[in-house]
Amino acid sequence: MSSLLIQRPLPHGGRLVERVIRDKEAAKKMIKGCPSYDIKPTLHYETGVPVRNVYREIMSICYGFFSPVEGSMKQAEVERILKERRLLNDWIFPYPLVFDISKEDYKKLGVGAGDRLVLNLKGKPFAILDIEEVWEIDNPEELAHKTFGTPEDNPEVVKERFNKKHPGWVIYRSLQPIVLAGKYTIINEPKFRPPFDRFWYPPRKAREEFDKRGWRTVICHQTRNVPHVGHEFLMKNAAYTGDVEPCHGILVNAIIGVKRRGDYPDEAIVEGHEAVNKGGYIKPERHLVSMCLWDMRYGNPLESLLHGIIRQNMGCTHHMFGRDHAAVGEYYDKWATQILWTKGIPSFGFPAPPTDVPYGLQIRPQNMREFSYCPTCKEMAYSETCGHKREKLSGSFLRGMVAEGVQPPSIIMRPEVYKVIVKWWKHFGYPFCNEKYVINKEKELEVDLEDL
Amino acid sequence: MAYFMVVLLDDKRMEKIKGTELEDKIQYMFGGELRCLNVEVSEELKDKILQEFDTARIDSRGAITDVPVAFMRELFNQVAEKKSLGPEVIEGVLAKVNEIKEMAAKESEYLPPPNIEV
Ligand SMILES: [Zn+2]
Repeated sequence: MSSLLIQRPLPHGGRLVERVIRDKEAAKKMIKGCPSYDIKPTLHYETGVPVRNVYREIMSICYGFFSPVEGSMKQAEVERILKERRLLNDWIFPYPLVFDISKEDYKKLGVGAGDRLVLNLKGKPFAILDIEEVWEIDNPEELAHKTFGTPEDNPEVVKERFNKKHPGWVIYRSLQPIVLAGKYTIINEPKFRPPFDRFWYPPRKAREEFDKRGWRTVICHQTRNVPHVGHEFLMKNAAYTGDVEPCHGILVNAIIGVKRRGDYPDEAIVEGHEAVNKGGYIKPERHLVSMCLWDMRYGNPLESLLHGIIRQNMGCTHHMFGRDHAAVGEYYDKWATQILWTKGIPSFGFPAPPTDVPYGLQIRPQNMREFSYCPTCKEMAYSETCGHKREKLSGSFLRGMVAEGVQPPSIIMRPEVYKVIVKWWKHFGYPFCNEKYVINKEKELEVDLEDL
Repeated sequence: MAYFMVVLLDDKRMEKIKGTELEDKIQYMFGGELRCLNVEVSEELKDKILQEFDTARIDSRGAITDVPVAFMRELFNQVAEKKSLGPEVIEGVLAKVNEIKEMAAKESEYLPPPNIEV
């Protein structure tokens, strides 16, 4: 029987990247006499609104969520990713990740290859960047198109040319021209503010927690939403997969980052998911809520690849994917993620699924459709099983109900989850992210730093 | 495709339509746990709504959603006043579009939270 058991996969690349110095004295010595730079948010190339903060990438790289990536990418690595979605060490990876600055800042800094740059966050030393190469993005619009694909180059899945309505495309379009490439190391660990602190399970800690709980198999649920009962049923039922027994654990991993107006606040998202297990709808011994810092690129199949990498690094064996996974608009085929994980997308460098190519992933995809209420079955029913007419639960219908101040019935949203929404509504004066929340979040971020 | 808008009925709203013919048109969703009235919306009125309110969306069922809360409140007022679910209801709401937009502008800053214990 042991041959039937699925073992926890190694991190992507074979080894967990951990680039965090915890010894403050050592850190001080490392940065002595080095030039420093205050991290700036990436601003929308037209409106000037913050669309990304590179600190989130530095965190996710240094704590190993993005293993085996270790830093800001060199030009050859970015070019290889855009061509075949592979790092220079051959491991698959979907997106270019760079530390970009303006030409003026570059001139002022006067740094080059071989220099160590101290990166400050909120006025405190946060990380170092050991510069190995300086290169220039000549055409950010072209970079943005190549990052997400075009209908001509990627006809299997790209249906529409990307434009400024796509928030991920805007991030790449808005990059500054000078890239400082090299490895990051965190020298002053930021402290998460409540409630985020108790959901911080970087890969090593997640794997240790899985050991403590006796979880060999774990299925991940990706989220950027407060859970309604449809989500709860997806998790409960997806977890029936596994090997000789259902998955031991359900990991909720929330992507925390720059928000769009109308989203639920991140605080309500993580606590809302926690309320599902606190309320016993999924028992806490089998359900863990966690998060990862990342400004969503909404790259559907490419985003699903990143999600697979993050969660394999955290120790998951399975990953749930739905229709229009991490998508916005109709740029991609609505099944693009399923196409990637079941057939591959040759034009993106995947003649076979990412689990069947050399230097690929081991995490297994679990494709899911949706749950909605069936008045005949009198239960939340699965779209692919129940043959009745069901009452669909659309996110915008639910948002409207919440905004009107009508408590959703518990068959739609658990009262414990609704209470979390109202708790943060009272705190922010608003149930969703409004302009004030979005701006304030990018100013305050999720963390505070102490003096070094 | 037929479009519609859902008017949710909580206990307070139920009081206001008590004894009218609207009571016969109440629909029950989610196993009877949610009461509502569906106001039909013509193609032309749907276009007007989308034109006036850029947040408005149409979900997979054909329901028009994501309009300002002030719109939804006025929608119920019109339903209760006209005791109807016909086109005059949406027309009545759209007649007050400027007033609604004024209120909607404040709504993006603040919405009063429900008075429940958390
Ligand atoms: Zn049924």
